Amino acid sequence: MLFRILKNSFLKRPKAVFLVFLSITMGAAVATAFLGIAGEVSHKMALELRSYGANILLEPSALEGGGFLREEDLPKIKTVFWKYNITGFTPYLFGVAEFSANGKHERGIVSGTWFNKELVVPGEESTVQGIKVIAPWWDVQGGWPQAADDAVIGAALAKRLGLSVGGQVEATVRGTGQRFRVAGIVTTGGYEEEQVFAPLVTVQSLLRQQGKVSRVLVSALTVPMDAFGRKDPATMSKDEYEKWYCTAYVTSVAKNVEEVMAGSRAKPIWQIASAEGALLKKLNSVMLLLTILALGASATAVSTSLMASMAERSPEIALMKAVGADRFQITAIFVGETLIISLCGGVIGYLLGDQLAELISRTVFNSTIASPLWLFPTAIVSAFVVAVAGSVAPLRRALRIEPVRVLKG
Amino acid sequence: MTKRRWLVYLVARALAHRKGRTVLLLAVLAMASSLATALGIVSISMGKRVAEEVRKYGANLVIIPDSARLDVGSGGLNFGAVTEPAYLNQQEVEGALARSGLKPGRSFHLRGSLHWKDADILVEGVNFDEIRQLFPWWQIKGGWPAAGEAVVGSDMAARLGLKGGETLELAGPGQSVRVRVSGIVSSGGEEDGLFFLSLPELQKVLGLEGKLTTVRLLVTAEGESLKKRAAALQPLLPKAKVSEVRQIARTSEGLLAKVKLLMVLVTAVVLISAGSSVTGTMSTTVLERGKEIGLMKAMGGGRWEVLLIFSAEAIMLGLFGGGAGYLLGSAVAQFITRAVFATSADFIPWFACVSLGVSLFLALLGSVGPLISVFRLDPVRSLRGE
Repeated sequence: MLFRILKNSFLKRPKAVFLVFLSITMGAAVATAFLGIAGEVSHKMALELRSYGANILLEPSALEGGGFLREEDLPKIKTVFWKYNITGFTPYLFGVAEFSANGKHERGIVSGTWFNKELVVPGEESTVQGIKVIAPWWDVQGGWPQAADDAVIGAALAKRLGLSVGGQVEATVRGTGQRFRVAGIVTTGGYEEEQVFAPLVTVQSLLRQQGKVSRVLVSALTVPMDAFGRKDPATMSKDEYEKWYCTAYVTSVAKNVEEVMAGSRAKPIWQIASAEGALLKKLNSVMLLLTILALGASATAVSTSLMASMAERSPEIALMKAVGADRFQITAIFVGETLIISLCGGVIGYLLGDQLAELISRTVFNSTIASPLWLFPTAIVSAFVVAVAGSVAPLRRALRIEPVRVLKG
Repeated sequence: MTKRRWLVYLVARALAHRKGRTVLLLAVLAMASSLATALGIVSISMGKRVAEEVRKYGANLVIIPDSARLDVGSGGLNFGAVTEPAYLNQQEVEGALARSGLKPGRSFHLRGSLHWKDADILVEGVNFDEIRQLFPWWQIKGGWPAAGEAVVGSDMAARLGLKGGETLELAGPGQSVRVRVSGIVSSGGEEDGLFFLSLPELQKVLGLEGKLTTVRLLVTAEGESLKKRAAALQPLLPKAKVSEVRQIARTSEGLLAKVKLLMVLVTAVVLISAGSSVTGTMSTTVLERGKEIGLMKAMGGGRWEVLLIFSAEAIMLGLFGGGAGYLLGSAVAQFITRAVFATSADFIPWFACVSLGVSLFLALLGSVGPLISVFRLDPVRSLRGE
C-alpha cells in the first residue's frame, strides 16, 4: 500500500516532485563543491604562494665567509621529517670571476647552480629540483642551459658585455679559464641580473671547489606562525618542543633541514615567510566563512522549497486522515517520499558538485582535485536531514487540522 | 474603481490573504539576493584587501643610480657591491615622484661604511618610519630606534658581539657619531649583516647630504601593469635606473588574478544553485493556484490580465525581497570583512540594483514560467478540481 501511494505520488504530480528534486540536487551540489574545495583551497593557495620564492636560507655556520656546505648532503633534504612539505631547493656556489666577451672585460660573480636537475634519492620518488622549480618569476629570454658549458647571464651584465643569446663568454678564475655559451638572458630586477649562472659541476671545477656549495635556498610549505610558534625553542619544555617540531612552522622546518646538512645554519627568510603566513590565514578564514554562508543558504533553500510543497498538500493529508490513516502512516508516507527524493537528489547533487569542484580547481589552479570519499554519504544524509527539517513544520500543522474543515474547502 | 486601482487592490489582498506563503517567498528571495550582494561585495573588497596584504611582500620598484650596479647575490643573500659608488639626488627623486602622480609607499636608503674600533662596518641610513611600513617582516628584538639610536643586523651583532643598549662611536671620513643600539633585527635577508642608522645622521657623518644609493617603491599593481609604471617613471629620472622587482611583482599579479577568479566562480555556483531553488519554490506556490487561475479565466480574464496580476505579485515580492536582501547582504559582507581583514567593507550603493535585479529576475522567472503551462489548462477542469 505504502509503495503504491509513493509510486503514484511521484507519477501523478511530476512537476511538483521535480521542483523539490531540483532544489535538493542543487543544495547537495553546492555543499559538495564547497566542502570539496574548502579543504583543498588552503593547500592550493599555499602551493601558489610558494612561487614567491624560497623561504628558508641555508648557509655555512661559520660566521665569516669561506665556509662551505657539502653537495653530497643535499639529497638528504628530501629524506627529512618534513620532506613532503619541501617543494624545492637549489644549491648555489659563488665565486668572483673575470668575464670577457667581444673584447670587453668585466669583474662579476659566477654562480654554479641546478637549473632543473632530476634528483634520485633511494627510497623516495625522483624529483626535479633547481631554479626552474623554486624561482618561477625568472624571465629568461632564450632557453635554459642544457650542456655543461651553457650558462644563463644576467641582463645588466649581458648588456655591458654586449652579449646576446648564443654568444660566447670566457670566465677566468685565478688563471683557470672556462668558455660558456649564453643559453639565456635573465631579467629579475634583483641581484641575479649581475651574475652568470652555470651548471654547478662546471663552476665547482672552475673554482676548484669540488663537491662544495656555498648556499642552499629551500622552498617549503609552512603553516602561519602563531603565538606558540614564535616562542623560543630553547626555552620550551620537552612536550612543547615536540609539538613545535611536529608543526610545520617555518622555523621548525628550517631546524629540520639544518640537522641533515653538516655545518649549516638555516634561517627563515622573513620577508617571504611572514607575509605568506598572514595572507594564507586571511584566505583560509574567507573560505571558511563563505562555506558556512553557502551551506546555510542551500539548507534554507531546500527547507523552504519543501515547506512550500508540503503546505499545498493539506487537503491530501486531511483526506488520508478521513479514510482512517493514523499519524504514523501519514508521516511514513511523507518521510518515505522525502527519503526517495533526497536520495536521488543527493546522488546527482554529489556527482554535480564533484564536477563543479573539479571545474573550479581546474580553472583557478590548473590542477585536479579529489573530493574525499566521506563527502558522498555526507551529501546524501545531509540532503535528507535538511529536507525532513523543512517538511516537519508544515506536516505537523497539517496533522493537527480537522479533516472535515479542509475537506469542506 | 479604475483598472489600476483594482489591480493594486487585488495584488495586495492576494499577498495579505496568504500571509504564510508571502513571508516564505519574501524570505527566500531576500536570502538569494542577499547572497548575491554579500558575495559581490566580498569579492570586490577581497581584490583590494589581498592587494594590500600582498604589499607585505615588500617593494616592487627599485630606483638606483644609472652608473651604479645592483649588489650581487641571490634571493636573500648579498655578495657586496662591485663598482665605485654613485648616488641619487634626494630632491630630484622626490620631485620626480611628485610629478609622476604616483603615490607609492617609499623608502630611501644610503649605503656606506663607517669605522668602528679597528674594523669597517657596512652601514645603511634609512628612515625608520618608512621601514616599518615597507618592511613589515623585520623581526626586531629590543625596540625600534628613537633619535640618536640605531639597530643592528643579527649576523653583524653576533660577529661584533653587540647587544641591545650598547653605545658605539662610529667614525666617518670627516666626523664621527655616537649611537646607542636599541634593537637587533633579523630578516633572513641582507639586513642581517648591516648596521642601520637614521638617514640624516648617516648623510651628515659621510658628508653626503641629500644623497641616496637606493630608493624602494611600493606601487599598487592593480589595473595597469607594473612594467608600465616603471616605464612612466623612468623619463622623469634621467640619471637613474628604475627596475621592477619581478619576484614580488609578477607573483602578486598572478595571485590576485587567481583569488578574483576563485571568488567569481564561487559566487556563480552559489547564485545558480540558490537561484534555482528559489525559482522552484516560487513555481510550487504558483502551480498550486491552478484553481484560482481557472476562476479568473472563467470570469473572462484574458491571458494578459492573468499574467499581469501574477507578474504584479511577483514584482511586489521581488522588490521587497531585493530590498531586504540588500540590507542583509551588506551586513553579512560587513561581518566577513570585519572578521577577516579587520576593516569595514566598502559601502556600495549600486549593489542595491544588483540585489533588486536578482530578486526580481528570480521572482518573475519562478512565477511567469509555470504560468505558461497553467494557461494550457481548461478552466472548467481546473475549477472542477481535476
